[in-house]
Amino acid sequence: MQLIESARKITRRLLWTWKPGSEKEAGDAVVKNLLLHWFPNRTSLGSLSWGYSFWLGTMAFVLFLVLVLTGIILMFLYVPSVERAYGSIKDLEFVVSFGWLMRGAHRIAAHLMVAVVFLHMVRVFLTGAYKNGSSVGANRPLNWIVGLGLLVLTLLLSFTGYLLPWDQLAYWAITVGTNIASAAPLVGKGMRFILLGGNEIGQNTLIRFYVLHVFFLPMVLLFLFAYHMWRIRKDGGLAVTDHEALDQRLEETAPVRTKTYSLLGITGSGSVHVQNRMVDEERNSVASVPHLTRRIWLVTIVTVVAVIGLTLLVRAPLEAPADPSVTPNPAKAPWYFLWLQEIVTISTVRLGQLTINGALIGGIVLPAVLFILALWWPFRDRSGLHTVGIWFARERRTQNLVFLCICVLIVAFTIVGTFFRGPYWTFYWPWEAWPSIPVKF
Amino acid sequence: MKSSTVHVPAPQAGSAGAASASRRAFLQKIGLASLLTGLAGFGLQSLRSLIPNVLYESPQKFKIGLPSLLADGVTFLEGRRLYVVKEGKSFHAISGACTHLGCTVKYTKLQQPKQVDINGEKKQITAEFHCPCHGSKFYDDGTNYAGPAPTPLHWYKLSVAPDDGQLIVDLGDEVERNFRLTV
Repeated sequence: MQLIESARKITRRLLWTWKPGSEKEAGDAVVKNLLLHWFPNRTSLGSLSWGYSFWLGTMAFVLFLVLVLTGIILMFLYVPSVERAYGSIKDLEFVVSFGWLMRGAHRIAAHLMVAVVFLHMVRVFLTGAYKNGSSVGANRPLNWIVGLGLLVLTLLLSFTGYLLPWDQLAYWAITVGTNIASAAPLVGKGMRFILLGGNEIGQNTLIRFYVLHVFFLPMVLLFLFAYHMWRIRKDGGLAVTDHEALDQRLEETAPVRTKTYSLLGITGSGSVHVQNRMVDEERNSVASVPHLTRRIWLVTIVTVVAVIGLTLLVRAPLEAPADPSVTPNPAKAPWYFLWLQEIVTISTVRLGQLTINGALIGGIVLPAVLFILALWWPFRDRSGLHTVGIWFARERRTQNLVFLCICVLIVAFTIVGTFFRGPYWTFYWPWEAWPSIPVKF
Repeated sequence: MKSSTVHVPAPQAGSAGAASASRRAFLQKIGLASLLTGLAGFGLQSLRSLIPNVLYESPQKFKIGLPSLLADGVTFLEGRRLYVVKEGKSFHAISGACTHLGCTVKYTKLQQPKQVDINGEKKQITAEFHCPCHGSKFYDDGTNYAGPAPTPLHWYKLSVAPDDGQLIVDLGDEVERNFRLTV
């Protein structure tokens, strides 16, 4: 007890300049605390609800933290050299104390992050949360675009990550990935050359993907994430807040009380926050400390426990060392790229003499079209204010359905790729046995 | 430096003030332009440094051994992903890299010989090449007939080394599918 009390005192001395004595002062304290300053003073009940956001964004960030922490340890133990990479991963798996746990947790957190970031995007779309509500100075479409950037970064980080063990999965993923890049018109060949650092997959390639994975991409992601968070605050909080404000306008409200708490220490009177923060009224909101921070802790703990639990259940695989002469049969990408693998398989187009490689259509054109459509959609969506921050708004039914159809198609392709494809990428039922095919010539 | 040059001119000095303001704007533009030029230069340098000038890769042209020592039929050169076919005295080489996305195609013997029509020419084949990644299929001469592969497998030029009589493959020299080297 004594220890906890003194630990608390030390934290306070390091992070807080001053101890809150009342509700008002507690609000001020949020502003003055290093760790809490990015939270609002009060949080609306809608934003705190489990069922509105499912806290997917928070989860994604916790997973990122797990990835950074385990990743730093892995960096001490991994050697990015063609000769030694595979051996160092094998050592991690079988020799290093808890190496399997570090690598396993890193891998599981990465898989979960892809899933969670994707679901987060689905949630934002279905709740119309990329739309500006009544908040002044909001620019949610921009934050949707930033979010799409974060999704792409997450996928790139996953891709560059599973190349590093330099096993068969890695080698053939680089082969296929860089050949998709080279299918791009005009710049394709040059892009492949720069990505590989030559014409062949080798040391240049490994070190390039390594630096991208451990430094460049995480840095970009961190900056974009910070901007993503900052925008949420400037956009007036989660979109559901706008919805709550809309409901309140319909009520006969008492005269707005004078705000007594500090607004981040940045406002004079009549700031954006004061104008539309009806939901900040005490009956609709609670103090961020402890109500918001408590839920964030809970989400953090559940996420970390899920990562560790899954790591104990699922051992991270390591395929045979990279072998340019033999492609695994079938050679499957990780699940989140299987829909693309499925599509590049079926999208080669033949028009008389002209043949367009599926690598270009399925690997570049189709994903690019989907991405551009997603970028543009907030500007196309002209549904009313009442559709902001609410699940399955009636006015947005058609677009929600179309969006869900695309998601279902992607998931369906992923399932087909995962469970229904065998040697030579032919169709097999999941319960059907695959024929045995000699590995070598 | 004269101290007058850093003073903000008095407002009544009309034309002189305007001249100073435009000079300031000009200097600002020059400053910004040089900053941007410098940054662009740095960006280009960085990018250029990532394009290797020397490659330590295996040569495109290499010897694969004496023709007489090669087994009749198809031989797979693992390190080179190359199928070398020997039919009596005639030789040809087919690439093992799928033309769709570059996986190594597998030489697959057919259970029964198959009658196929390759560009109007009837032919009986006993083996095919199948790709493990996306299921492309090729006849034994590399002609693509199923799956996403857009073009036939590449054929490379074979020649005989003048010095020791070994077979030479040149991956930089692609040839038609009627190419045969007779030794």
